[in-house]
Amino acid sequence: MLFYIIQRIGLSVLILFLVLLTLFALIHIIPGDPVSIALGPRATPEIEARFIEKMHLDKPWYEQFVVFAVGALKGDLGEDIFTGQKVSDIIFSQLPYTIALALSGLGWAVCIGIPLGCFSASYPNSLLDRMLGVISVGTIAMPSFVVSIYSLLIFAIMLNWFPVIGAGEKGDLIDQLHHLVLPAFAVGLGWVGYLARMVRASMLEVLSENFIRASISFGIPRVKIIYLYALKVAILPTITLIGIGFGGLLSGAVFAEIIFARPGIGKLIYDMVEARNFPVVQGSVLITAFMFIFTMLVTDLIVAYLDPRLRKKL
Amino acid sequence: MTPDHAILDIQNLSLDYVSSSGRMHALRNINLTVPKGKVVGIVGESGCGKSTIAAASMRLLSPNAEIVSGSIRFDREDILSLSEKEIRNLRGSDMAMVFQDPMTSLNPVFTVGNLMTDLLYRRTELSRNEKRTLAIEMLDRVGISDPALRFDQYPNEFSGGMRQRICIAMALLCNPRLLIADEPTTALDVTMAAQIMSLLKDIKNDFSGSILFISHNLGLIAEICDEVVVMYAGEVVERGTVEDIFYHSRHPYTRKLIECDPTIIPESDKQLPTIKGYVPSLQYVPEGCIYADRCHEVLPECSQVHPKETQIDGKHFFRCLLAAANDHVVEKRSPGAAVLPGTDENKPPAAPCDDHLLTVSNVNVRFRNQGVLSAFIRRVKYPYIDACLDVSLTIKPGETYGLIGESGSGKTTLGLAIMRLTEFAKGSILFDNQDIRELDQSGLTEFRRQVSMMFQDPIASLSPRKTIIDLIREPFDINDTSGVDIDSEITRLFDMVGLSHSFKSRYPHQLSGGQARRVGVARALAMSPKLVIADEPTAGLDVSIQGDVLNLMNDLQAQLGLSYLIISHNLPVVRHISDQIGIMYMGRLVEQGRKKDIFRSAAHPYTKALLEGVPQPDPSKRRDNLSIIGEIPSLSNRPPGCEFHTRCPHADELCRTTFPAPNDLSPDHTVLCHYPL
Repeated sequence: MLFYIIQRIGLSVLILFLVLLTLFALIHIIPGDPVSIALGPRATPEIEARFIEKMHLDKPWYEQFVVFAVGALKGDLGEDIFTGQKVSDIIFSQLPYTIALALSGLGWAVCIGIPLGCFSASYPNSLLDRMLGVISVGTIAMPSFVVSIYSLLIFAIMLNWFPVIGAGEKGDLIDQLHHLVLPAFAVGLGWVGYLARMVRASMLEVLSENFIRASISFGIPRVKIIYLYALKVAILPTITLIGIGFGGLLSGAVFAEIIFARPGIGKLIYDMVEARNFPVVQGSVLITAFMFIFTMLVTDLIVAYLDPRLRKKL
Repeated sequence: MTPDHAILDIQNLSLDYVSSSGRMHALRNINLTVPKGKVVGIVGESGCGKSTIAAASMRLLSPNAEIVSGSIRFDREDILSLSEKEIRNLRGSDMAMVFQDPMTSLNPVFTVGNLMTDLLYRRTELSRNEKRTLAIEMLDRVGISDPALRFDQYPNEFSGGMRQRICIAMALLCNPRLLIADEPTTALDVTMAAQIMSLLKDIKNDFSGSILFISHNLGLIAEICDEVVVMYAGEVVERGTVEDIFYHSRHPYTRKLIECDPTIIPESDKQLPTIKGYVPSLQYVPEGCIYADRCHEVLPECSQVHPKETQIDGKHFFRCLLAAANDHVVEKRSPGAAVLPGTDENKPPAAPCDDHLLTVSNVNVRFRNQGVLSAFIRRVKYPYIDACLDVSLTIKPGETYGLIGESGSGKTTLGLAIMRLTEFAKGSILFDNQDIRELDQSGLTEFRRQVSMMFQDPIASLSPRKTIIDLIREPFDINDTSGVDIDSEITRLFDMVGLSHSFKSRYPHQLSGGQARRVGVARALAMSPKLVIADEPTAGLDVSIQGDVLNLMNDLQAQLGLSYLIISHNLPVVRHISDQIGIMYMGRLVEQGRKKDIFRSAAHPYTKALLEGVPQPDPSKRRDNLSIIGEIPSLSNRPPGCEFHTRCPHADELCRTTFPAPNDLSPDHTVLCHYPL
């Protein structure tokens, strides 16, 4: 088990290095002179020279990469070109909003989607199962920005139950939660259907296993068989999926963040790409990649913890 | 007998499976009683409804099953009319079941202790600790060593035999009045199966309830049952006491089934007994006797009149017109007759030829079981497991070598090494005096024309997307066959293996196991090889078909002068066809010799255990003690000294420390043992 964890961490470091390299390359491959793009046409040669020196643009690319990588390792992601703020500060001021959104969005999807999947699987091909199937596919197919706009229209504007934009007053937890409801709903709705489908499929497979038949033959109550005996086996592939989903939402909640005008990493990256503010883009993509890899590591460890067959092999 | 004495009483039960392709009449007019405190066996070939009866008795039927008529009473309660809650209360507490495959019958993500204590959920008066104590006692009862320690382990930490013990412990935990054992040893190796049978017999002695024991193996039925029910194609054809069935059977099917049992086939050069034809489709049940078209004593009226169940004496019932006729003479078997005869030497010895077709010398095959990095970090000096160790054998032209071993003994690996489908680390393999390691690509192609392989699972080893004719044509497409009339070759192969030409455009899943096996034989023989490696040629086939396949292989050998290397776990099956036999244990050939050496004077205790592990279809030959205990050690942690000493009843200090040198008892008979028997 320890060996497995070490192996996984080693692999994660390698992936992170590759991410770093790709990011670095991407920004340098993009056509155009970074100096004129960043500073605009009216910059004086002095300003340009200062910028070049500060950004190490006069050095060969591999030296630039080393500077970038070493800085990143130390936690120094550089400075915002325009404001001179530390990139790490900018990112960490936005990150909690994104994490809150991803957690709450996936959280409610998990709480609803998994029981729905179990329910469908315990009455396969019943009318309810079929209806749930249609609804699930519908929610999967609906893009989250459509859900966002409709939920804004209905719940914020027509019914006036929830605030329209923003993330709420700083320090006012109730207000922040109030602002979180609609974005979380929009982000999670597709996941409800997706998880329900996934859980239904793996539950059906598990329910046809011999050990389930054996449990029935021992007179174990049906509810316990479905929600404990079968679910603990069937949930394993879904956990991996949830991990990937969470990682994806860290940068993928951008539609919801834009529509609801919430601060967040997705929106930050979007804005900064528009502004060609490369250090911030680099830093935030790096942080999301790191979070993603970390999430996957945790997911794999959870799965290994839950599945003794896997644990034994490690 | 009044039903009052019966714990399970099935009357006139008919059951259909409904699917989009029609109704399958899976059970028809079943009568069956399990008296209190008795062991009743259900025997029959696959697909004849044995397991459906078990499932119906516990109402565990699949949703597409439909009960047409009849009743099932458990201790006078009508099972079929109970509510879902009432039947659930019976399950586990009054009736319990042990399933066929122990590897998949335990939930992998819960500890054994967790699974067991959960079964006691009805006994709310017990505390957690009391439940734990009860469960540990039961594990101890079924022969799990260190039960308190193993209580907290997960199923994957147990071997197959141990898991079956746990399944039995779970079934007995609530002290049921009826225990249903559905093929409890079929998925296990010979020595493990013998241990489980011994446990079941042990339980039978101090268990107050009844046992319904389901098996396709007559030997096991004879060993444990008081009463026997013989089923064929969804009908009970005969039932009675174990003596009635084994000594005074009336139904031709029962008699034929006993005759086909590989352990009692008398002579090796004769054709093995078989039952012609196949089990009929149960969608359109014939009007007359269901067995009529396969019966060797069929009467004209058999195909028109469906025979009634006739009682002959006491508990003996059968469904047969012929046997019901008073003047029908029944040859009676007497207890202990014609069972495990000494093998005779009637089979003419292989062509007198000193040249060896195949010479395997000191072959080692090993597989890496740890990655380079992992082995380095864990300081494993030898990151391999040895699947075959110092294996040497020779096969002459026209000879058959039977390679016997339990699962994991390396017998299939050796077969693959001979085909050069896996690399071997040491030793040499000579085929026709040519070292197969030195073959280049074209030499290898030619070599594989001369050596062909029949793979284990008859149906799964055929591509499901190809028709039978394409499958048989495949070897011709792969090999260079210019100048050969492929169509006439295919016709010849179809005739040779006795496949009907109407099968040409069918797909493998539309064939029965026996038919698919014939396709496998045709594919193996397409290139007229000199040596055929047959991996478990009869595994998964019913006894009536096994003989059929072996007869075919025997005939083809006589016609074509083939050599066979037959890999099997089943000693009685290979006995009839082999000239030489080798016994593998943990990758080594522990004993090899001529057939008579092995069967008449087995020298290795393991060989002896395998021979004794075969149950005889004769109630007077019940085994009473186990000749081998324990389990096969792990290949990655071989015991020092003689590798068999951990399970050997005769082991002493020498065996525990020193590896035995090959001991030549006669020029042909070699054994790896310090003290050959």
